[in-house]
Amino acid sequence: MDGNEMNIQPTRNKPESRDAQGTIDPITLEVIRYGLISTTNQIDANIKRTAFSPYIYEYNDFAVGMTDIDGRLVAQCTGGMPPFVADSVGTAVRDGLKIYGLDRLHYGDVVVCNHAAVQGQHLNNTVMYTPIAEHADGSGRLIGFFAINVHWIDIGGTMNNSHDIFMEGLQLRSVKMWSKGEPIEEVYRIIENNSRLPTELMGDIQAQLAGCFLGRDLIANLVEKYGTATFERAIEIILDQAEAAARQHIRNLPDGEYVHETWLDNDGVGDTPIPIKVKVIIKDDEITVDYTGIAEQAKGSINSGYHGGGLTTARVAFRYLVAPDEPANEGLFRPLKLILPMGKIVSADPTAPMANYPMPFPTIIDAVIKALEKALPERVTGGHFATHSGFRLFGRRANGRPFNGHDSGHGGWGACYNHDGAGPFRTMAHGDTRLIPIELQERLVPFRVESIALRPDSGGAGKFRGGLGFEKRYRILEDCQLQTNLDRTNHPAWGVLGGKEARPGNVLVIDEKTGTKTQKNKAHGEPIAAGSIVILETGGGGGYGPPAERDVALVQRDLDEGYITAEGAKKDYGVTVDDKGRVTRGA
Amino acid sequence: MSYAVAVDIGGTFTDLVGYDRETRRVVYTKSATTYGNFVDGILDCFVKADLTPEQAQYLNHGTTLVINSFIQRRGAKAALVTTEGFRDILEIARANRPDPFDLHYQRDPPLIPRSLRFEVPERVDTFGEVLAPLDLDALDRLAEQLRAQKVEAVAIFFINSFANSAHETQAAERLREKLPGVYITCSTDLTREWYEFERTSTVAANAYVGPQVNTYIRRLEDDMKSRGFDGTLFMMGSNGGLLSVDRTCRQPVGLVESGPIGGCIGAGAYAEELGFKNVVAFDMGGTTAKCALVEDGRFNVESIYYAGGYVHGFPIKSPVIDIVEVGSGGGSVAWLDSQNRLHVGPRSAGSTPGPVCYGRGGTEATVTDANLVLGRLNADRFLGGELKLDTAGAERAIRKLAEPLGYSGEEGMLRLADGILSLATVTMAGAIRQVSVEHGLDPRDFMLFSYGGGGPLHGAALARELSVPTVVIPPAPGNFSAVGMLLADARIDLSKTFTGILTQDAIGPVQDAFEALEAEAAASLRKEFGAREIMFERHAEMRYLGQRHNIKVPVGSGGDLATIRKAFERDYKRRYGHSDSENPAELQALHLSAFARQQRPDLSGLPLISKSGAAPASRHVYFKEKGGFVDAAVYERSALPPGFAAAGPALIEEYGSTTLVGPFDRFEIGPLYEIRIHCDAQ
Repeated sequence: MDGNEMNIQPTRNKPESRDAQGTIDPITLEVIRYGLISTTNQIDANIKRTAFSPYIYEYNDFAVGMTDIDGRLVAQCTGGMPPFVADSVGTAVRDGLKIYGLDRLHYGDVVVCNHAAVQGQHLNNTVMYTPIAEHADGSGRLIGFFAINVHWIDIGGTMNNSHDIFMEGLQLRSVKMWSKGEPIEEVYRIIENNSRLPTELMGDIQAQLAGCFLGRDLIANLVEKYGTATFERAIEIILDQAEAAARQHIRNLPDGEYVHETWLDNDGVGDTPIPIKVKVIIKDDEITVDYTGIAEQAKGSINSGYHGGGLTTARVAFRYLVAPDEPANEGLFRPLKLILPMGKIVSADPTAPMANYPMPFPTIIDAVIKALEKALPERVTGGHFATHSGFRLFGRRANGRPFNGHDSGHGGWGACYNHDGAGPFRTMAHGDTRLIPIELQERLVPFRVESIALRPDSGGAGKFRGGLGFEKRYRILEDCQLQTNLDRTNHPAWGVLGGKEARPGNVLVIDEKTGTKTQKNKAHGEPIAAGSIVILETGGGGGYGPPAERDVALVQRDLDEGYITAEGAKKDYGVTVDDKGRVTRGA
Repeated sequence: MSYAVAVDIGGTFTDLVGYDRETRRVVYTKSATTYGNFVDGILDCFVKADLTPEQAQYLNHGTTLVINSFIQRRGAKAALVTTEGFRDILEIARANRPDPFDLHYQRDPPLIPRSLRFEVPERVDTFGEVLAPLDLDALDRLAEQLRAQKVEAVAIFFINSFANSAHETQAAERLREKLPGVYITCSTDLTREWYEFERTSTVAANAYVGPQVNTYIRRLEDDMKSRGFDGTLFMMGSNGGLLSVDRTCRQPVGLVESGPIGGCIGAGAYAEELGFKNVVAFDMGGTTAKCALVEDGRFNVESIYYAGGYVHGFPIKSPVIDIVEVGSGGGSVAWLDSQNRLHVGPRSAGSTPGPVCYGRGGTEATVTDANLVLGRLNADRFLGGELKLDTAGAERAIRKLAEPLGYSGEEGMLRLADGILSLATVTMAGAIRQVSVEHGLDPRDFMLFSYGGGGPLHGAALARELSVPTVVIPPAPGNFSAVGMLLADARIDLSKTFTGILTQDAIGPVQDAFEALEAEAAASLRKEFGAREIMFERHAEMRYLGQRHNIKVPVGSGGDLATIRKAFERDYKRRYGHSDSENPAELQALHLSAFARQQRPDLSGLPLISKSGAAPASRHVYFKEKGGFVDAAVYERSALPPGFAAAGPALIEEYGSTTLVGPFDRFEIGPLYEIRIHCDAQ
């Protein structure tokens, strides 16, 4: 461990004179601000249109951003995956600046970086960036970088559990793919020959490259239109205004220290609970997230680096709670401080296995939210089911052709101060990620879905009830293997402010011949015989406020709609249900 | 009986355009929309236009009834009948959160609540093999229950029915028999493409609005007939074509974008007639601006639409013109946030209270207020003088925003007003860039076709922002949606899931499938429109083997393997920048569009022409690029003949809208009386 993550902080490349205070017309400022976000959104649309892999156009597993010449995040596209908002692109740019120095980075260079010591996430997440010059023709000095982070579909590495990062594929630490406008064919050859899916990968890289160049030119057009001095002054003001907005929100919150502790079931390899203890300190106009109490680096591949794990989860929680409507930039996160010793699961050594790095993220983000239940009663929500619930059936068909069916669990989200929890959705580490239609799955994978249904009583009770998980039953038609990754069964989604906890999820395999049921929440290639039934149940979300305060009409509605059972109504809400299904509270 | 009449019922106004094929007389009117019975508003228009219903041979009608019913949740008590095990598909949806940082995000509730979603035993596999027959006894018991619950409509969806619709058809027949008077609809009558959630959502939506649309259309027909109307009523479909009354009653979801598409059709017709290859149709109204691309006179039709928006709404699998909407209109409010950052929209003052200058109680400055204080609108002649505008009030509201930003005095107020328009322009330009980029096109290769109440005023500034050289303003831009409805063809779109590798062996089945779709569409057009000449367009959704992303490729009729392959590679290259001649291509779905050209008016007969020849007046108009107010010529549009040309700055006024020509622009009147503005051409 060389502590590299800690050193990747912005250094100032910009001469002081260019930072001079100056006034700028507020309307020009707004037009530039809009132009920056609009450019990143245009490139976002362009990548979705031209990318090959479904990670990009269906999972939105990418982010588009622009940094200034110091690698500070200035603007980022508004969509994308939550774990990317935390400035994944700026981190990579700053490593490149450290390695090359600004004098060795030129217009027409393209640099890629997926290194564990830099981004600290699984190696698929690869940032590509190119310098922006003052003029669209490349003349003038450099004024920033246009950067795109894309999940590369395959970069080699083991398909099973890894023991260290070196088993997970090709690492590229700030490597130039283009130099002064010319591609470096050797680097292309290295990448192409270290992937199981070279066609798709090279297609995605082409889309990423085209996006970088187009973004660079669009930003340069903006700079030309308003002049470099005005543009750079506008950036300073945009960052300062985002910071001021965040500080103003925080100043309205009550000062104090807030703590929550929970546990993951295990790291996927061992069977020891993984402690997730977070402390949040609100003081004046700053928030400090203290991860000192979080688990040490794990053997299983659920680790992430300081930047890619610790800072990322803190920033995602910050954005959820404090500033959901502010565009992400470096200024927004200035009032957020992090206390995080090295060597934790979210500040792991760069050699640690990280293939499954986001696994703890939903729980950590949710724990920060839970800690603040008394401080932000109208922002927080009950816990969500908070597990990726990965579910994969793979094997070979009778005719020898391989199949590989990825599915995933979607669970309930927590209730909030004015409505019941929603869902089923994917986790807080996901965004606009859509489940795969059954009509398509049945064509591709040898199973038949017998039912998919909401799970009554799975949401935590409360004044507002948590969202429901679902139950999906698969009839397996050919022998295959099962891989699952479902956690949070021992400590399911909690309630907030008196709300009750939800039911956890579960994977059950029912053998057709013997009828025996076995739980398989963390299966690693478990053989499943044709004819068996596999049941994927997902957890619900936690409730908000005491169940006794729930409007009896809502209990009646939930019973009528089948969101709760009569038994659940009695047990969770202390109501009586007569033989006609009428709910009454009290004697 | 020589008039073709189009009626567009909007939220505030009902617009009517009538065209007499014999005398080439054209009439335009507007009347307040009459909630309760929309027919009253239509009849008011007839009276104002000095027309009688007997004179109308065709009545083309667009309505926002369907979309309003979804958004305001005013539809029928509908039930869903589905395969055992699948009633929650409608509620689980695709389990995505389109707004990733909204911790309190929730989707709008499903149109059919869980307690009205019922299951019956039946099962078909993904290839259409029947695994379990439809349990008719269970269905009969269910029918009793539906009757007892006084359900008004029933949606039928069975899993995998896209591959075999027999059970749905059988269930629909049985339920129609058992439940007379109840509206029954099944998913495969609406779409034959796969994906269970989208299909369930579509049929649920159809059931939800079915009874209401049937009542509305039948009543409209009866009321119009009782007033002497003896022509044919056609509805405007979201696909940009006319739909027969019978089809509309079966497929009311086909009307979901019935309102705003008129303008797109009109833009397509003008572009074709004038020989413009590529056009962006841009419609700016009171609350939003909408844009669509028209290439070679054809607009792009998407096969999915999100009612209530992608973020909170639900999908409908139905062909809809690809329209992008952005929250910038005349009523868009300008406001400052906690950091004194200026924003414009997306909130709108609407028509009540409306902009401050309407004097109806609005207090927040809007885009229209900014236009007024900059001299771009005539305070005394707004809507032909029907509404007198309050300039002093608009100035006060804008000053309230200007002062915290350090803009003081008269000069500062004007700078801020100009800033409001700049921000509205960049927002609208962003929407146009987005729709172009998504299709791999460059807006600079297009012409901006600008209409709606605000389009003519903002078109030139928008074009400059986009580096588009030419803006075209059609005649009667404020009524253009209704004009477009007069120009529509009859149109039917059919599609089906069709999977297979593109090889010589696939060509036969592909041709057979297209021929079957064509036969079906042609039979419908003949029956519903008495069509004789029918045109077809075939498209296939394709991709390289192993990919997940389809592109829609035109495949001409009788296309052989080489032609289809060539079309695929050409379009693939346009989209991705490269293509691969080795890699096999896969088919995913077939789309057929069938058109029957209706007898439509001659475009050159549509403008209102006055012979007054009034001399141009002039007015002070603010232009930032000129450093303040300059004299701009003011023309009466109806007095400008084809061939007339002049330099800006200029204002061209007509009922319902004003065209602004910038100080460095030139304009001319084209052969169809359209205004053509050449930006920065001086």
